[in-house]
Amino acid sequence: MGDFFSNLSLGFGVALSLQNLGLAFLGCLVGTLVGVLPGVGPIATIAMLLPITFGLDPTGALIMLAGIYYGAQYGGSTTAILVNIPGEATSVVTALDGHQMARQGRAGVALGIAAIGSFFAGTVATLVIAALGAPLTGLALIFGPTEYFSLMVMGLVFAVVLARGSILKAIAMILVGVLLSTVGTDLETGEERMTFGLPFLADGIDFAVLAMGIFGIAEIMRNLDHTEHRDVVRQAIGRLLPNKDDFKQSYKPVLRGTLIGAILGILPGNGAVLGPFASYTLEKKLAKDPRRFGRGAIEGVAGPESANNAGAQTSFIPLLTLGIPPNAVMALMVGAMTIHGIIPGPQVMTKNPTLFWGMIASMWVGNLMLLIINLPMVGLWVRLLKVPYRLLFPAILMFCCIGIYSINSLPTDVMFIGLFGFVGYMLIKFGFEPAPMLLGFVLGKLMEENLRRALIISRGDMMTFIDRPISAGLLAVAAILLVIALLPSIRKGRDEVFTE
Amino acid sequence: MSVLHEGSEPVRHRGPVRAPQSLAGGLLLIALAALALWLTRDLDQGTLNAMGPAMLPRWLAIGVGLSGLALLAAAFLKEGDLLERWSLRGPVFVIGAILAFAFTIRGYAFGSLVLPGLGLLVAGPLAIIIGGHATPEARLRDLVILALSLTPFCMVLFGDLLNLPIPVFPQALTGLFPADWSQKAVLRATAAIMAGAAVLVFLTTRGRRQASVDVADHSGRI
Amino acid sequence: MKKTVLALAAVAGLAATGAHAQNYPTRPITMIVPFAAGGPTDVIARIVTDHMSRTLGQQIVIENVAGAGGTTGITRAAQSQPDGYTIMMGHMGTHGAAPALYPNLKYDPTKDFAPIGLAAGTPIVIVARKDFPANDLKGFLEYLKANADKVNMAHAGVGSVSHSTGIFFNSVVKVKPTMVAYRGTGPALNDLMGNTVDFMTDQIVNVAPQIQGNNIKAFAIATPERSPVLPNVPTTKEAGLEGYEVSAWNAAFAPKGTPPDVVKKLSDALIKSLEDENTKKRLLELGGVIPSATERTPEALQKLVESEVARWTPVLKAAGATAE
Repeated sequence: MGDFFSNLSLGFGVALSLQNLGLAFLGCLVGTLVGVLPGVGPIATIAMLLPITFGLDPTGALIMLAGIYYGAQYGGSTTAILVNIPGEATSVVTALDGHQMARQGRAGVALGIAAIGSFFAGTVATLVIAALGAPLTGLALIFGPTEYFSLMVMGLVFAVVLARGSILKAIAMILVGVLLSTVGTDLETGEERMTFGLPFLADGIDFAVLAMGIFGIAEIMRNLDHTEHRDVVRQAIGRLLPNKDDFKQSYKPVLRGTLIGAILGILPGNGAVLGPFASYTLEKKLAKDPRRFGRGAIEGVAGPESANNAGAQTSFIPLLTLGIPPNAVMALMVGAMTIHGIIPGPQVMTKNPTLFWGMIASMWVGNLMLLIINLPMVGLWVRLLKVPYRLLFPAILMFCCIGIYSINSLPTDVMFIGLFGFVGYMLIKFGFEPAPMLLGFVLGKLMEENLRRALIISRGDMMTFIDRPISAGLLAVAAILLVIALLPSIRKGRDEVFTE
Repeated sequence: MSVLHEGSEPVRHRGPVRAPQSLAGGLLLIALAALALWLTRDLDQGTLNAMGPAMLPRWLAIGVGLSGLALLAAAFLKEGDLLERWSLRGPVFVIGAILAFAFTIRGYAFGSLVLPGLGLLVAGPLAIIIGGHATPEARLRDLVILALSLTPFCMVLFGDLLNLPIPVFPQALTGLFPADWSQKAVLRATAAIMAGAAVLVFLTTRGRRQASVDVADHSGRI
Repeated sequence: MKKTVLALAAVAGLAATGAHAQNYPTRPITMIVPFAAGGPTDVIARIVTDHMSRTLGQQIVIENVAGAGGTTGITRAAQSQPDGYTIMMGHMGTHGAAPALYPNLKYDPTKDFAPIGLAAGTPIVIVARKDFPANDLKGFLEYLKANADKVNMAHAGVGSVSHSTGIFFNSVVKVKPTMVAYRGTGPALNDLMGNTVDFMTDQIVNVAPQIQGNNIKAFAIATPERSPVLPNVPTTKEAGLEGYEVSAWNAAFAPKGTPPDVVKKLSDALIKSLEDENTKKRLLELGGVIPSATERTPEALQKLVESEVARWTPVLKAAGATAE
């Protein structure tokens, strides 16, 4: 325990120096501003801003980059809430209820609770990292392909629970999502699958492209159909900040979300993605009236946003303690560290204690900055919705094009957001929901890879999923969840049959 | 997603199809499944021990197809939603704007046909002006002002401040400026000229709002 | 500040269209890195171009165009204007292994480029999980041969360095372990440390911290000399394995048709960058090998590409590894 405090005070000594405070602030500010552009998620933002850190000392540079990361993450949630365009997988959930809240004139409340929930989650996650970072490292190593596959199966069950309408349609959408994720070069054999021979499909479909098309562009097309409907968004602006009732409704979801996000964030291979989905599922199951979800329930923003931020933070653990990046953002951080002459690995903690603990302390500082930057900006963002839609949507359209182009410099990506936009528009017209499909897409790739890996290693023995205790436990949870999700609809379906 | 379902009023349909929305959805899923099966026809399925590239896509496609069939069956058995009304104007202009952006942002070479890279300078305004016409309320004047002010903003933001490798303007443009100007100087000057033009258009056409091209006249959907 | 430098450096004279080498470069140069930002090739490109930008008086902007084992980015770079304003960082995969892996490759590494020069090599290390029942390369090879059906080899996906060098290793040693694919080195290392897979071959920059931290064990480094980063790891020759010397080299290329004097300027700037103490230090920290004076020239690079294509094609074809 003594170590814990001496380490933290060492860290805060570094993080609270004037220069590092300034860098954290600057990083958070720039990250927020760039991240708020539709389509520009954390990865694109960090890659974009990496060169401006070259002139700094490694600690300062990493503090600034971490700030950019949190800023971009939070900026992405802002876009999801305001214009229903999730910049990355984790803000898909935020878009579900957050954007509905915005439509009901509660954009300010949604943004406010997202900022406050994130800050709380960030604070807890910082303490978790400082206290348990090293021991928790082992958790990442226990998770092999078998456990990972079972975790993904559990994730897909979340997607069923996530859906509002017909279960059959939700399952169909999940399957379509997983199917879409298999497009591209097969990892094991290198054979191309379903690419139509097109070179730009060889690496599969980019998540940002799919999400922006299915959510953002389709949303624009749909709004254009309902002139009278979308004006609701700008008529009533309502309160700018959450009030006591809002807090009362959301403090428990924040606590639960933080816990879930923090645990899943530590897992390798992008476990943090599952955090918001898991939190949403939990809140929906616990709610007295689950039908409110998807129609602007504040718990549906508070929980997932906290989970998102907690996961974003704890996903630094494998990077800092092992030097192994659990996801693409962290891989970029590895590169950034390497460029600054620090090779991430298990020795960073002992060789560069000021950097290590300084960065951990700066995580908390960064979260505080985010709160300071974002609460005043809520008013500004909300005012953005007052712009007449006929001017707002062409601007969003152009930003989407620029954002997508900037990720890979591929004009074909830009064309694809048009194609997926139309597909998304059709899906809405046919009564399908896009969120389960996106979750299926995100988890699909990981699921297939880990399934095949696990079976190669077990030499084709399916029992491996049940023989290993963690994997068996996860599968059991998935099965129970699925039964709980399906029962009411089966019963309802029977009732309907009887009434007819 | 939608709070509003235009077609959800309980209009009783005669005929065997009782849920047209499910019918269309089912057909879409079946078509998708068929496409996936056709695309993976030549790939190896492998065994559990060494799964081939086709194993998962094929089973998923079968799953999607079965869901489609179930929806199709439901369309004849259970009362359901009608299809919502479609409008083509939105999708056509939005996709048009996206394609215009994609084709002008950087140069292409299709065999002998060479398209010059026009950069953000052209792609941005094209996207805004074409896309803007997706709504019947579009006003050309407003869109021109929007294009002339947002594009320079993006040029400075992405090209100058963030140093993104995004093409900003055609290389030929540098020829119009004094030769000793750097790329960045040309960028800033161009942006300033555009912003100036935006102000100019705004001021000169201010009083003539009604007279400006108003596409909203034939109100309603295409 | 950078902007003032750029503005000052813009040389009076002709507009970009008619640029001659005397004035080159008059605007920022784009270097296409065919991999995601943060990977070894990206890091080497950024370190080397940092100093090159100062020599040339114009910024070199890195553009990451990832995809299909780097061939997407190289294809685009090869087809761009040969005016010296678009150059690229190729590597062992894109300019050595790619012709064998991608039968529909749109470029020929030996013919479609104007080589600028070798930037840095990153040696390959043979590593295994910590509790692998062997302590040196000899014991490892014996175990491998005796238990060929039990051993799992990890790699970072078809077309990656660890995949090509792994296949090469198997063909030199004449074993056929079960290959397990991962998406990138990170997840593969994670499972290596978690004892899920048994061994892999990968670039020193990826594995050195884990070797130093005793999370995995290293059997040998596939270079003629030991690396200062891992002084205790013997070379393959020292450990008794002949014929397995391989390094994931990274080198700068321009598209074919780039004026020779422009290439000369770029090549000189690259050589100057490699002589800079700071650049050297940063490359060495990564475990990189800085090419000797004779290896730095465009001519030497052309020879290297030809020999690498000749080396990789039969090895990979024999293993039946194609990505189409």
